[in-house]
Amino acid sequence: MARVESMKRYHDIVGDGGSRILEQVAEQRARISDGLAGVRHVVAVGSGKGGVGKSTLTLQLASALRARGLRIAILDADFNGPSQARMAGVQEALFVPGSHKVSLPRTSNGIAVFSMGSVIPESEALEFESAAHGESHTWRATREFALLGEILGSFEWGALDLLMFDLPPGAERTVQYADFLGPLDVAHPSTSLGMTLSPSKGQGSPRVSFLLVTIPSEVARGVVARSVAALSKGPNRLLGYVENMSGYYCRDCNAIKPLFGSSEISRLGIPCLGTVPFDPELARHCDVGMPFAELGETPVRRALDQVAQQLLETLI
Amino acid sequence: MKFLCVPCDSPMKLQTVGPPERGSLSIVYSCPECGYEMAMLTNAYETQVVQSLGVRIGPAEASAEAGGRCPFPAMIPGNEQQQPSQAGEPIAVRWTSGAEARLANIPEFVRPMARTGIERFARERGALEIDEKILDAAREFFGM
Repeated sequence: MARVESMKRYHDIVGDGGSRILEQVAEQRARISDGLAGVRHVVAVGSGKGGVGKSTLTLQLASALRARGLRIAILDADFNGPSQARMAGVQEALFVPGSHKVSLPRTSNGIAVFSMGSVIPESEALEFESAAHGESHTWRATREFALLGEILGSFEWGALDLLMFDLPPGAERTVQYADFLGPLDVAHPSTSLGMTLSPSKGQGSPRVSFLLVTIPSEVARGVVARSVAALSKGPNRLLGYVENMSGYYCRDCNAIKPLFGSSEISRLGIPCLGTVPFDPELARHCDVGMPFAELGETPVRRALDQVAQQLLETLI
Repeated sequence: MKFLCVPCDSPMKLQTVGPPERGSLSIVYSCPECGYEMAMLTNAYETQVVQSLGVRIGPAEASAEAGGRCPFPAMIPGNEQQQPSQAGEPIAVRWTSGAEARLANIPEFVRPMARTGIERFARERGALEIDEKILDAAREFFGM
């Protein structure tokens, strides 16, 4: 009988005997890189904290940048609680197959949007088929990232100045997205499982960055600070943060009034790209999918414009 | 995962993958040197982990398990089995092979919606056959 010391080891054997699992994973990555080859910047809008207005800010900043002539798309990465389809007015979107990939629905102002809210009715929860019933905690995240890969590789993202990811809540999810997106960044080629995950030479690739959102509460600041700490451990590009719900806009008084107890801007040790007050009218716009352009000239719109400008200057 | 025939010190080759049965896959390997065969029988957790990666176990041409299928078919409107059209229901439209090929290129989870939407688009324009021109017209109409 052969001795363990003298027999072949894993790395002595080429291939896995037929399934090509590693090669299939590499092919998935290649499809993602190919799909994003025309994208200049990916900005993942996260927080760690839920309910701070990530989705609203993502859409409104995208609209403000679109108004400046940029080519923008949004990927609603919150598969379990998608909101971009409703807010962007693409709930009833038509998916049209192109020659190789699927066209993305667009908002009336030309922002391409993928959201699971266009695929699954709001009355349904996203439930994956599984062999291991009742054990979704062991595989669910893997399944979701495989789905994300399929979305990136199968839809026509085309030539974009900016692809904005609307991240799900949870500090750990923010880090998982950093792990997923980081290797796509041309500035940080890396390897995983012995495979090169960066785009092949000569192929375009995006610059991947993170933008965090907080609100003026110590609870939110504390959670977002954890996301900053976690992202700072890796080679992630943190553009800064936006303080959302920084007061609220009273239309009757045409003034910004306090909404939370703290009037100090949250300090997170990264650049603050601006503050945006809460506006009930903006919330109503989001509920019915009305475009940014119809918001009117308000302090909130001016604040969003300023943050968009800051974001643009930070990206360049 | 790789399998080694210890007596021959030779990598084993995948032969067949049986259809899933209560979450388990049966994957048969054989040694090209001595012909010895063995089967790997996965438990539901192992099957699920591989499925979750979106990869396929087995030769590329095999249809057995993992990858390609819609991961959440019960959630998708229009994913039900198509019934023959009856009185009062929309008139059936035909897909050309070229248009079907394009549809087959897209992820399975958006296919039923794409099919339903395109058929509605075609009917609204009096077309009873969907070809690649109709698909291109839909793309243009929706500003894609």
